[in-house]
Amino acid sequence: MKVLLVEDDKTTIDYIAKGFLEQGHSIDTASDGHQGLLLATGGHYELVILDRMLPLLDGLKLLAALRATGDQTPVLILSALGHVDERVKGLRAGGDDYMTKPFAFSELLVRAEKLMQRGQSQPQQTDLTVGLLQMELLTRRVTLEGQELLLQPKEFQLLKYLMEHPNQVISRTLLFEAVWDYHFDPRTNVIDVHIAKLRRKFEELGHGELIETVRGAGYRLRQRH
Amino acid sequence: MTLIIGALLFSLYRQLVIEQQYQVAQHLASEKLRYQQLALTVSRRNFAAQIRAADPKTALIAWRNSVDMVGALSLIPDNMPLLPQTRDFPILTGGPDKLHILTGGIVLTRYGPVLIATRTDHLATLIDKFINAAATAVMLTILLTLALGYLFSKAILRRLVHYRRLSEQIAKGHYDTRLPESWRQDEFDMVACQFNQVLDTLETNLTAVRGVTDNIAHDLRTPLSHLRIGLEQLPQKSAAECADASAALIEELDQCLATFDAMLSLTRIEEGQQALELQPLSLRGLCEDLAEMAEAVAELKQQTLTLTTGKDFEVQGDKHLLFQALYNLVDNAIKYSGEGARIEIIQEGRRVEIRDNGPGIPDDAREKVFERLVRLDPSRHQQGTGLGLSMVKAILARHNTKILLSDNHPGLVISLTFQ
Repeated sequence: MKVLLVEDDKTTIDYIAKGFLEQGHSIDTASDGHQGLLLATGGHYELVILDRMLPLLDGLKLLAALRATGDQTPVLILSALGHVDERVKGLRAGGDDYMTKPFAFSELLVRAEKLMQRGQSQPQQTDLTVGLLQMELLTRRVTLEGQELLLQPKEFQLLKYLMEHPNQVISRTLLFEAVWDYHFDPRTNVIDVHIAKLRRKFEELGHGELIETVRGAGYRLRQRH
Repeated sequence: MTLIIGALLFSLYRQLVIEQQYQVAQHLASEKLRYQQLALTVSRRNFAAQIRAADPKTALIAWRNSVDMVGALSLIPDNMPLLPQTRDFPILTGGPDKLHILTGGIVLTRYGPVLIATRTDHLATLIDKFINAAATAVMLTILLTLALGYLFSKAILRRLVHYRRLSEQIAKGHYDTRLPESWRQDEFDMVACQFNQVLDTLETNLTAVRGVTDNIAHDLRTPLSHLRIGLEQLPQKSAAECADASAALIEELDQCLATFDAMLSLTRIEEGQQALELQPLSLRGLCEDLAEMAEAVAELKQQTLTLTTGKDFEVQGDKHLLFQALYNLVDNAIKYSGEGARIEIIQEGRRVEIRDNGPGIPDDAREKVFERLVRLDPSRHQQGTGLGLSMVKAILARHNTKILLSDNHPGLVISLTFQ
């Protein structure tokens, strides 16, 4: 996967570039708007990660210019401007996702991979399998080592999201967005509580350790134990 | 001003000249008639005598009597027109003012052409004097206008300079300074009044911000100092401990950032800077989502959360903000009503009630809870930003929704009425 990062802060560039390289993606960087636009229009990238406040050319203008050429490369906007109306502005300008600084790399990676997968036409999945876990999406049947788990609708959605990203750290924000159609920071342990209920159902079948809490980051569904 | 006076004087001058020319013409016409009559009635000798006897003050006459000239003038200049046409011509006399200007013309009589003229130079002098006087008057007016203008502008300038000095003080941070307003109620006072109103608003806001800054300083200082301590201890930890300790520090930092974000977005919503994304929402739907989200959190504290819905109501609102407000209220009920409490969400038409049977809020504190960073728990022991209810109030205000706190004997009832 080839990623373009347009960002002017050296620390952020190093942090993101290192992360993507470790995950086996190749990454190009541009530290100003002009260079960014130049690379984005000629580079055949699968994803552009774009800062908003850039020297020489503003990020949103870059995006508008890119879209004006008919280029539909997924763009993830990464900005310190985090208010709802700024997000709306970014998404209206043609961004596919919007993340606010400061951010956790694990969340950026999940969002980035989601955007990159969108471009590929995948056969419609009817079931998911992660280790001992199996999920039939049409019948909503979930089994663990062949034993059925009875889940509430929200628990089912949480588990589905985790199973789509096995072994990856998923932040509370991502889980919240995946399950509820509201965008706000609940400032409480809503997700923790729902995960705890889910984990209790796993524990009853002797596999509570499959859902791992990563302090300061989020949750991870482990493939093996 | 000077122009008007000038114009007036000029028209007066024109009048004077026309009047004088008319007078001269009249005078010469009557003299002409007299000598024509005289020529018809008297003999040539008598005519000469009459001409000689003519008073030079009324008219100066010259008549060529066969050989010599008779009359006050000793010659008839060439090209003199026939009266009533006249011409000015100069003569020399032996008097003190040697050169005189005369106006006159020829009259044809039975005894030949007679020159009738009259002195106009004294009138010319009069006009000269008038012009002098007028010029002096105009000069004086100009001087007076300049002097008055100078004094007047100096008075205005003094007020402006005063305003400037006061604004400089304000710029230096003396926000209690106000511009003086006089009894005149002129344009300057209107500007000053407007300016003072702006200052009043600014001062109120500044005071509010100062209060908030103090609270923020307290709320952010604690987690920041924890962070500092944590970072200082990090190098002494073993590799295994290090990961855990960093995670804890990140959580602490996230808490700071959340408080900071909440603060900023609260200000934006309160000040109306954030545009609402209005859409029709089902109030019943919002309450159902609310119960579903909060139920598990309540269960954790062995509380029961029940939802009762009635007739649905469509509200025009910002989905995310409105849900956040409702969630904050329920979350507060869960947080503060204690273990085993009963929490009810009741929706009926445009009304939503959130009831709990916890300790409630004392009467005198019901207004205070909506203020920024106010917490009834003085130790600030419960985790939270202290902004939740301020946010609720700001969001509801933007949606024209009334919020009322009352007693549930025991506990708290929060009633919302949507528009």
